Amino acid sequence: MIQLHNVSLAYQKDATALNAINLKIEKGEFVFLTGPSGAGKTTLLRLLYGALSPTRGQVMIDGKNVSHLPASQIPYLRRSIGVVFQDFKLLSTRTVFENVAITLEVLGWGRADIGKKVLHTLKQMGMESKIGLTPQRLSGGEQQRVALARALVNDPRILLADEPTGNLDDANKNQILNIFKEANVRGTTVVVATHDRRLIDHAHKRLVILCKGEIVEQMEKEEHTGESAG
Amino acid sequence: MNRWKKKNIPANRPAKRPTLSGEGFGGRFGYFFYRAFVNIRQNVFVNAVTIGTITLALLIVSLFLLVFVNLENASEKWSERVQVTVYFDRELSAQEQATFNKNISSIPGTSRVGYVSRDEALKRFKGRLRGQETLLDGVRPEILPTSFEIALKRDNRDTQGVENYVAALKRVPGIKEVQYGEEWVRRFNTMLNFMRLVGALLGGFLVVAVLFIVSNTIKLTIYARRDELEVMSLVGATRFFIKAPFLIEGIIQGAGGALIAMLLLLALYEGFLHNAGSFLTFNPTTAGLAFLPPEYVGGIILSGIALGFIGSLSSLKRFISV
Repeated sequence: MIQLHNVSLAYQKDATALNAINLKIEKGEFVFLTGPSGAGKTTLLRLLYGALSPTRGQVMIDGKNVSHLPASQIPYLRRSIGVVFQDFKLLSTRTVFENVAITLEVLGWGRADIGKKVLHTLKQMGMESKIGLTPQRLSGGEQQRVALARALVNDPRILLADEPTGNLDDANKNQILNIFKEANVRGTTVVVATHDRRLIDHAHKRLVILCKGEIVEQMEKEEHTGESAG
Repeated sequence: MNRWKKKNIPANRPAKRPTLSGEGFGGRFGYFFYRAFVNIRQNVFVNAVTIGTITLALLIVSLFLLVFVNLENASEKWSERVQVTVYFDRELSAQEQATFNKNISSIPGTSRVGYVSRDEALKRFKGRLRGQETLLDGVRPEILPTSFEIALKRDNRDTQGVENYVAALKRVPGIKEVQYGEEWVRRFNTMLNFMRLVGALLGGFLVVAVLFIVSNTIKLTIYARRDELEVMSLVGATRFFIKAPFLIEGIIQGAGGALIAMLLLLALYEGFLHNAGSFLTFNPTTAGLAFLPPEYVGGIILSGIALGFIGSLSSLKRFISV
């Protein structure tokens, strides 16, 4: 599903953000990217949704090279990728419903179908009762669930999350993790960048550790689960 | 209660798009308008600021235009005094009058030709000396010349135009003495050109200032909504899809601002017309002050629309990365 071949990226000549990354993520996999701040987690995610192009190497998604996609093609790549952020990026003037509906409006869905699908997704997130509220009236956990609803409402093939629980307490972290897992069970490939060790330990999923722009270690779920248990 | 307990989770089905609201610009047109109106409702303050700025800007420009148009009208009336007179020292027969009339009328630039007989000339002379007619006692019409008074078309009333016309007039057989008040024509045209130059300079400065203020206001209002652009881009909206509602908003803001500016201008004009008599020495209702002609009003509304559209377009370019 996702393949990175020898991918390097330098913002400036002497500032390498990623260096010779080789990574393969299978369809339906759930992967955590972790590492200290500045390790390149966010940069790697941004490569995957076309916000950045690599300086060297190839980024393949579904067998298609998206490394240097023309600007006009990037929207079509993003329609199959859901993205969530630590700061949620919800529109403060729009209601919960409208925030989630954007994704389907972009795809050209009719209004009646948007209504049904958004309601269904918000129900899955336990947010159906907040449908008419604006984001300012929601807690951090609720806002992240709305952001997740927006990312998942069109059943994307890939879900990318950048520090999705950075602003949340433990109870909310668990809820968000469960939503990731459910999306993953439905067939969505999930890639979560986080340095939240507790989240990683709870999830029991594959772990990719980055440091200074390089992959320094990869662990299958059994390995690091056992490690933390021990 | 844990609402996240194990559920029977259905697998993702292939991307389904049940009822499409239409592809391309035509199909989405309704959506773009709907979105633009909803955006205006949801961003009332930002839109009010933009419309207010456009209104004020266009009001200043149209006020200036109103003054300029009325000055032009006044100068047009004064320029009707630019008149060429051909003198004869004898009374012309009816046939001669007709021949001269025909020859003079055929010169390009002639607007009106009128013959002034000796009797008519004396009558006018007396008219000017009203109250002191006795001074002309004993004066006989024969001492006065006869003449043709020629009014010129608008384009021939400047100094060069009058000189060219007089040169052509002198080529008409039988015409020798021509007068046209060279000094007055020269001064009048100098004044007119000066007024136009000052008007163009002031107008130019005003337009540049207005463009600067409006484009920066629109830029700021779009900057305030850059999150919206980012989110739209993240969920896979094409540039056109992101821009279209903003551009429609720009057009609505421009048209709204221009309409309000025109209504305010009309109110100011009517208010001036009906109240200025009490503090000015002339009565504006009888001075022939006119409102802007319809084509100017149309032009200002179109400028407002263009201002909103182009302002939004150039600002969006700056804020939409992919």
